Amino acid sequence: MTQDDLTITDPKMKAHGVNVFYGEKQAINDVSIDVGTDLVTAFIGPSGCGKSTFLRSLNRMNDTVASARVTGQIELDGEDIYAPSMDVVQLRARVGMVFQKPNPFPKSIYDNVGYGPRIHGLAPNKADLDVIVERALVRAGLWDEVKDRLQESGTALSGGQQQRLCIARAIAVDPEVILMDEPCSALDPIATAKIEELIHELRGKYAIVIVTHNMQQAARVSQRTAFFHLGTLVEYGKTTDIFTNPKQERTKDYITGRYG
Amino acid sequence: MTFNAAALLLLIAGLALIGWLAGRARSNLLAGRAGEKLHSRPQYHGWYVALWLFAPAALFLAVWSSMSPALITNQVLTSEAAQSLPSFGFERGAILSDARAVAQGRQAAVRLPAAAPLVKPYADASHKYAWIGIAAMLALALAGGLYAFTRIKPDFRARTRVEKIVMLFLLLASLVAILTTFGIVLSLLFESIRFFRLVSPAELLFGTEWAPTSGAPQPDTFGGIPLFWGTILIGAIIAMIVAIPIGMMTAVYLTQYAAPAVRKWVKPILEILAGVPTVVYGYFAALTVAPALREFAVMLGIPNASTESALAAGIVMGVMIIPFVSSMADDSINAVPQAMRDGSLALGATPNETIRQVLIPAALPGVMGGILLAVSRAIGETMIVVMAAGLSANMTANPFASVTTVTAQIVKLLTGDQEFDSAKTLAAFALGLVLFIVTLLLNIVALRIVKKYREAYE
Amino acid sequence: MNRQTAPTDWKGAVMQKRIAGRYAAERRFRLMGLGAVLLSGAFLAFLLFVMVGNGARGFMYTHVEVPVDFRAMPLTVDKTRLGDADADQVIANAGLADIVAFAADEALGTDGSKLISENAWKEVRSAIKDNPELLNARTVFDLPASSEVDIAAKEGAKGALGAKVDALEKDGKLSTGIHWPFFRNADATDPAVAGIWGALKGSVLTIFIAFLIAFPTGVLAALYLEEYAPKNRWTDLIEVSINNLAAVPSIIFGLLALAVFINWFGLCQASPLVGGLTLALMTMPVIVIASRNAIKSVPPSIRDAALGVGASPVQVVFHHVLPLALPGILTGTIIGMARALGETAPLLLVGMRAFIGDVPGGICSPSTVLPMQIFLWSDEVDRGFVEKTSAAIIVLLVVLLSMNAFAIYLRNKFEKRW
Repeated sequence: MTQDDLTITDPKMKAHGVNVFYGEKQAINDVSIDVGTDLVTAFIGPSGCGKSTFLRSLNRMNDTVASARVTGQIELDGEDIYAPSMDVVQLRARVGMVFQKPNPFPKSIYDNVGYGPRIHGLAPNKADLDVIVERALVRAGLWDEVKDRLQESGTALSGGQQQRLCIARAIAVDPEVILMDEPCSALDPIATAKIEELIHELRGKYAIVIVTHNMQQAARVSQRTAFFHLGTLVEYGKTTDIFTNPKQERTKDYITGRYG
Repeated sequence: MTFNAAALLLLIAGLALIGWLAGRARSNLLAGRAGEKLHSRPQYHGWYVALWLFAPAALFLAVWSSMSPALITNQVLTSEAAQSLPSFGFERGAILSDARAVAQGRQAAVRLPAAAPLVKPYADASHKYAWIGIAAMLALALAGGLYAFTRIKPDFRARTRVEKIVMLFLLLASLVAILTTFGIVLSLLFESIRFFRLVSPAELLFGTEWAPTSGAPQPDTFGGIPLFWGTILIGAIIAMIVAIPIGMMTAVYLTQYAAPAVRKWVKPILEILAGVPTVVYGYFAALTVAPALREFAVMLGIPNASTESALAAGIVMGVMIIPFVSSMADDSINAVPQAMRDGSLALGATPNETIRQVLIPAALPGVMGGILLAVSRAIGETMIVVMAAGLSANMTANPFASVTTVTAQIVKLLTGDQEFDSAKTLAAFALGLVLFIVTLLLNIVALRIVKKYREAYE
Repeated sequence: MNRQTAPTDWKGAVMQKRIAGRYAAERRFRLMGLGAVLLSGAFLAFLLFVMVGNGARGFMYTHVEVPVDFRAMPLTVDKTRLGDADADQVIANAGLADIVAFAADEALGTDGSKLISENAWKEVRSAIKDNPELLNARTVFDLPASSEVDIAAKEGAKGALGAKVDALEKDGKLSTGIHWPFFRNADATDPAVAGIWGALKGSVLTIFIAFLIAFPTGVLAALYLEEYAPKNRWTDLIEVSINNLAAVPSIIFGLLALAVFINWFGLCQASPLVGGLTLALMTMPVIVIASRNAIKSVPPSIRDAALGVGASPVQVVFHHVLPLALPGILTGTIIGMARALGETAPLLLVGMRAFIGDVPGGICSPSTVLPMQIFLWSDEVDRGFVEKTSAAIIVLLVVLLSMNAFAIYLRNKFEKRW
């Protein structure tokens, strides 16, 4: 499958003219971007460029910051996610998120994965939940490692396993989009490789957006790349184009390591 | 001539000031004469002299002023006039203190005629010991001062010496804590052992009859179970039923929902609640809450409803503990990493699902530690139960009935007119020992849990 | 599409109903939280309301107009002795009490002397001492009413007493004013003359002693532990002791004081000295903990800078660390002292619960403290003491709240962010 050749005809999420403010300070300035349904989209840029801020506005996690304000339009399947009719609880179930540092709950592995389905009422009974938990763990590539100790605490796993547990936790509510905020920055190279492999396998099942400061990683896992700098979207295109033939001077400087 | 410790302290402080000036001047003079550079700056030489002058004399003063009243009284008691004193109790003490007051000039004339012949022996004895004390103190001060003064030389390391003395003071100050702990343990143990010679520990710990005031025909019984039950009923059950839910929900609301402005106003209000003295809570319980509860109980047709009820004391104690529970819970919830909260919200959980299913379970060890500390505080609380819970040792689960607690009984046993060595006063120390051990264990366990929990998230 | 299952139907009726339920639960939970906060606030408001409601009247007292004519009932005293030290005794022996009682009977009808306080004549006495000329004239005195009349005048009463009081009121013979004896006197059995000054002075002396001992000891101990203590078992023992002492019930300190200070050292019982020592032991751990936190918050860079210019470790601490930590230390100390000021239980055991009719003269004279006065009054049968108790509580709360407010002010003013 050569998805690199596809253009985005049926975007999962569409952002148009998005600004994000923290109090008086503008963190994101007029960003417009389409996220493809079956693609992995990478956001790159130097730290503090706003890529994580923008990511957090895609599932309204910025709502939890009292001073944050978002203007512009972000659509999920053509629905404005900041419209009053949009329910934020359901939105976050449809747009899952994986964080920079693995953050398993201090519960058993089973309960970590079962937490989302339980609160959303996706499993009418225990047997259904068992199926959902197993499927999520299988998809996250963790099943074989933990199937005999599902009742152990999630915090007892290694860092890489914890992060895959968090991915399984996100998958378990059957989201349409998964946002990953530098998911490998706290992991060692071997664990990182496993996560990248996992992203490959998940591509096509979910629309994936990954923020990374590691350009090689962006090149390895994504089909589309957006380069952010100082709160603006400098360039967005096919990953191969961005890395081999950037159109903007700033992109080129960053890719070649002039700053970052 | 009487021994006025404060004036004497001022006197030696004055001498120390002179010593300081003299030491400083001498070091300057010596340095100038020898043309050498001083090792330490002149004021350190001054301090060196002043400390040597002041410290031994002040120490002696402290010892002497705590000892001399006993010495004086002893001498008075050997005098002829004292032989006709009643041998015990309140009257004897009153006569002695009356004579003392006149002898020390605090009172113009004796109030009790029996005290009159004792005035002169008292005055003589005070006079004698005052002179002995003052002479010894001045001798010590001068000796110390002279010793230090003669040691001043340009190359004398006065600063190092002074700093060593300062360090000694610091060490001594920190040892006061250990001394206090030992003092508590030893005094409780010592008196309790004397009690256990009269009454077996098994009776105190497992006996079910508490009647130390039964009077002559029956022997006193010291079965502690009714007290322990009353303490648990009030402090660990009723107070916690009030304090835990309200304290926890307050903490949850303030940390998770309230706007910063609300938080800024509500927290000081809670601190006021924590700062109200317990005697005020006790009065409130006895005056307002208890009668209201009694009426309520009578309305419900509950038998044995008393104006002194476990419920009144427990509820008011619970209110007193609310700020404590809420601030412990507040700390514990705040210690849960933000990432945990974000993780749950990002899965589409509502704030209340996040709080109940993620934050509180994660904060649970810290909250449990806080609750143990709250229980320890509640069972050691005295004034509320003394004023509102009553003194009848009932074994009842009826919260409208009157029960008594360990602390209320300690107060009762020690504030009557008893000989200090009677089984009743000794029993108070034995109860104190039990209370001390239980609260100590609760505190140690709680502090350990809280500490471990903090480390887990650091 | 690669999905293995059908996508969740978020818009379906079942899911919408479930969501509505979850939001309802959210609202209920939030309301419960708000309810808890309001409940705590309501408790405080109710407590203050009850105390102020009862106590405000305790600052006032009813007085009755009684004319006393010394020309008709001469008081035979030697006027030259009225300036002497024992003038009180002289006047009392001359039978002033009877004269005033008689005058009251005459002015207010049969049993009129029961309507005024049994100590009312003492007010006449001090008036005479101020102005001996009164002995040659007829003067109308505003004398304190008896406790029953005072309550009847404030709350209304039934029966004969009520009728009498109403009549007096109609005649304009009753007046109400601020009750100065409440602020001037020590404890008494008669609410008309009982006051808090004795207890207040006892409290001040006691707290002063406690401060004098606990503050230097606490601060020095904190300096030692934070700056110099080696990491060894002794230091651990000290730390454990301090942390536990801070949580030991206060009554245990009372037992310690009874066994050590009174029975062993034989220090003066029921005195501010013993009370202060007891409270000092209790407060010291609090001061140590607060001081350590304040010292800890002074950044190490300050110490490095001072050491770098050649200061000795003692100079570093006393010239740099201590001054910077002082506001925090003082805040903790004031809060600890406020707690000690409200403490009652340990003082019960060292004898400070006795009835003390005199204002304490020194740190070794028998005395009581304000919280103890509240406790003692709360046990009085005479109804006049109910409002006195609440009035004393108001005074105590005002003192404590001002101390705490001052501590908070200090913290806000000097709080530094390093």
